[in-house]
Amino acid sequence: MTLFDLAIRSMRKNIKHYYLYFFALILSVVLYFVFATLQYDQAIVEQGNKMISSAFLAAGILLIFIAGIFIVYANSIFLKRRSREIGLYQLIGLKKRTVARLLIVENTLLGIGALIVGIVIGMLVSRVFLLLLLKLIGFETTISVSFSIEAVLQTIAVFIGIFALTTIQMIRTVYRNTLLSLFNTEKAGEHPKKPKTSSAAVLAVAGILLIGFGYWLSERMFDANFFLNISGVLISTIAGTYLTFRVTLSWLLYKIRSRKEGHLGLNNSLSIAPLMHRLKGNANSLTIITILSAMTLSMIAGAYSFYYSTEQEAQAKMPFDFIFENEEAFASEISAEMKEKGIDFQQGIVEILVTEGQLEEGALAVPSDPLYIAVASDEQLQKAGIEIEAPGTNSASLHSTSSLSMFMDNERLPVDLYLQDVKEPIEIEAFGEGNVINWETFYTQVVVNPKKYEQLKTDLAAKGSAEIRRIDGFHILNDEDLEEASALYHQPKYNGKNPRQDYYSTVKEGMESNGLMIFIAGFLGLVFLVSTGSILYFKQMTEAEQEKQSYSTLRQLGFSVNEIMQGIIRKQIFVFGLPLVISLVHSFFALKALSYFFQTNIMVSAATVMILFAIIYLLFAFLTVGYYRKTVKMALR
Amino acid sequence: MFTKIKDAIKTNKKTDTQSVLQAYNVRKSFGSKGNVQQVLKGIDLRVEKGEFVGIMGPSGAGKTTLLNVLATIDRATEGTITISGSDISKMKDAQLSAFRRDRLGFIFQDYNLLDTLTVKENILLPVSLGKVRKKLAEAEFRSIADILGITELANKYPHEISGGQKQRTSAARALINQPSMVFADEPTGALDSKAASSLLGTLADVNEKREVTIMMVTHDPLASSYCSRVVFLKDGNIYSELYKGNKTRQAFFQEILNVQAVLGGDSVDAL
Repeated sequence: MTLFDLAIRSMRKNIKHYYLYFFALILSVVLYFVFATLQYDQAIVEQGNKMISSAFLAAGILLIFIAGIFIVYANSIFLKRRSREIGLYQLIGLKKRTVARLLIVENTLLGIGALIVGIVIGMLVSRVFLLLLLKLIGFETTISVSFSIEAVLQTIAVFIGIFALTTIQMIRTVYRNTLLSLFNTEKAGEHPKKPKTSSAAVLAVAGILLIGFGYWLSERMFDANFFLNISGVLISTIAGTYLTFRVTLSWLLYKIRSRKEGHLGLNNSLSIAPLMHRLKGNANSLTIITILSAMTLSMIAGAYSFYYSTEQEAQAKMPFDFIFENEEAFASEISAEMKEKGIDFQQGIVEILVTEGQLEEGALAVPSDPLYIAVASDEQLQKAGIEIEAPGTNSASLHSTSSLSMFMDNERLPVDLYLQDVKEPIEIEAFGEGNVINWETFYTQVVVNPKKYEQLKTDLAAKGSAEIRRIDGFHILNDEDLEEASALYHQPKYNGKNPRQDYYSTVKEGMESNGLMIFIAGFLGLVFLVSTGSILYFKQMTEAEQEKQSYSTLRQLGFSVNEIMQGIIRKQIFVFGLPLVISLVHSFFALKALSYFFQTNIMVSAATVMILFAIIYLLFAFLTVGYYRKTVKMALR
Repeated sequence: MFTKIKDAIKTNKKTDTQSVLQAYNVRKSFGSKGNVQQVLKGIDLRVEKGEFVGIMGPSGAGKTTLLNVLATIDRATEGTITISGSDISKMKDAQLSAFRRDRLGFIFQDYNLLDTLTVKENILLPVSLGKVRKKLAEAEFRSIADILGITELANKYPHEISGGQKQRTSAARALINQPSMVFADEPTGALDSKAASSLLGTLADVNEKREVTIMMVTHDPLASSYCSRVVFLKDGNIYSELYKGNKTRQAFFQEILNVQAVLGGDSVDAL
């Protein structure tokens, strides 16, 4: 019998152990290949957008890392399960070199198989992903995914690299381990020790406090010490999470257990006891999984919120479809052009006072510089088709979508605004949502009632400290005319001192870049989620194997499958539920902090992503419980 | 013929309520059509309350199969088995599980303790569904741990104690639910001779003091000399029986050796 025969034979006998590793390999190949195919796809390349290709490049590198870690991890579990077999080969007299060669032959066969299967599946599913991507970008063309030889070559190259890593890993297992340790790895498990009560209690509480402090700080990190704050948030939440898994959890479980005084009950015997047994080893991986899940979740939810709110953000920035400032001639010319083309529109004329002003000390979370301000009356704005609430006699509302808006906090209202050369301040009673004039004017906008406006106009204009300017704002009445009107507006003959920006093209660009971002974030998130889910699943599979003897004992003692499963399900609630809940809460606070960057409410989009995330996680939990049920059933014949 | 057996059981129940276990014509075969191997070929056996029965016989005689069938872990192909008046051959799987948990105790060759539980938690497992009041269970645990001499070990994990101590723990677990009957499968198989004698002495003690009925499968004549009766199996049939009666353990041991010598198989040379 040659080595090759032996490899084939052992693979056939061990299919149960292999399919897990093989599955991990195929999955990684499929996802990477899909990604590479999209990267080289004509429809995307032809877009010619530099941002797109660099985004794909960066994401591709990240993907290689995730796939590499995932496969190496799966391989280490796989090797642990087979260590007895590797030991047995050496026991019956095979040289280490021969055993290593056997493993390399196997690994090569598995690798080639996974590449072929993965690329074929990848070809079948990549069309779905491409359609999804183009849909998100808002690109409507009928396309066919072409077979890309570059994608195939790139995938093969990447995975040869990863297979080389796993091969090194296998060789190390053979050479670095003694026979004895190979035979004992399956039994290995720590034994829970009594925690030192005083220090454990302190650390346990510290874990919770650190997380709490991180959350607290994240609420108020937008001030002058932003970078210091954000590193504080990250360090304290990560350290807190680690302590929670490593100390708080074991301390709590220990407390519960010792209170039972030996009367543990079946459910706890199958949940608390084995959890405590492996907590030390699991703390690291649970922390990493939780933190990375929280980051992925925040990343996807953030990207999705950007995408989801593209239109609303543009709306907030540009209440008019487009404007001309002090360019009356252009305004009347474009009106004529649009009439000629049969585009229905509404033109509004708003007069503004442009001046400088300063908010009172403490009005914002950060010290504010003098502001470049445009004052307008609500009456004129209403006439021009901007919906706005009328301010009181001596008060005003402040509108901005610049960085200033991140620090506008309704709790600080009312605040005083001092205009240049005016002694008496204007009281700001509200921070408005979005602009009242398109943001290309860069003004911080203040809306007052007509009487106040006239008074300010006389005061300021007389002193020469304000300039009167005219805004011509246009609303296109039918959505289907938007594209044509936008094209007219962008004609070179209308070029002004600032680049022209209009609602339609802003939304379109936003959709393209945010669509790409959500696609890449979602894709990476999916890969990541599937990897971490699988890792938890694999780990539990190994644990189930290790505890098989316990289940058969329990069955012999007369416990039914369902009674045993209750305890096991309780354990899975810990194993899957804890990282899920903690990462959800983490990302909830991360998004809450992030929401400062959004003009709009991101609750809906964030909740959607979180629910999806939880569902995929639950799927893995169900798979795991199913595997346990099978193990318990098989435990007694 | 079947009705006869049933009648026999009925009359037995009436006349002799002391019988804990009654087995009639128990047969067990393995394998599928064309290749059926009969391991138990019609065994009749009765165990009285408070007996300590040893089952001996050469390898392949069907000792463990008999134990498994009587202990409801495996089903007989044919025959009737009654334990404390309940006909286990008619029970469904779920009923059997509950029956095992509530009425039987088990001691295994390799202890089968749960590594993740302490000695006390392991012992209390059979009453862990909360049907027994905590106070009662605690009292029972104390008395059993005391008899078996493992009170000190209550909070230790299995990996911290010796083989003999593990087997005592396993025995305590078998006794905690005050079972009608305890089944022991080669309980001394993994122990050295000193630990084995000590465990068997304790089992005999428990058997006497608490009137626990015990059935033990063993291939070791020394172990079976602690029993009150030894049943010898050969090729799936009962070959002979020995009662200890008032004999000394040494004399009983000698008798067992004699029977074994006739039986052959894995016998004398084991000493």
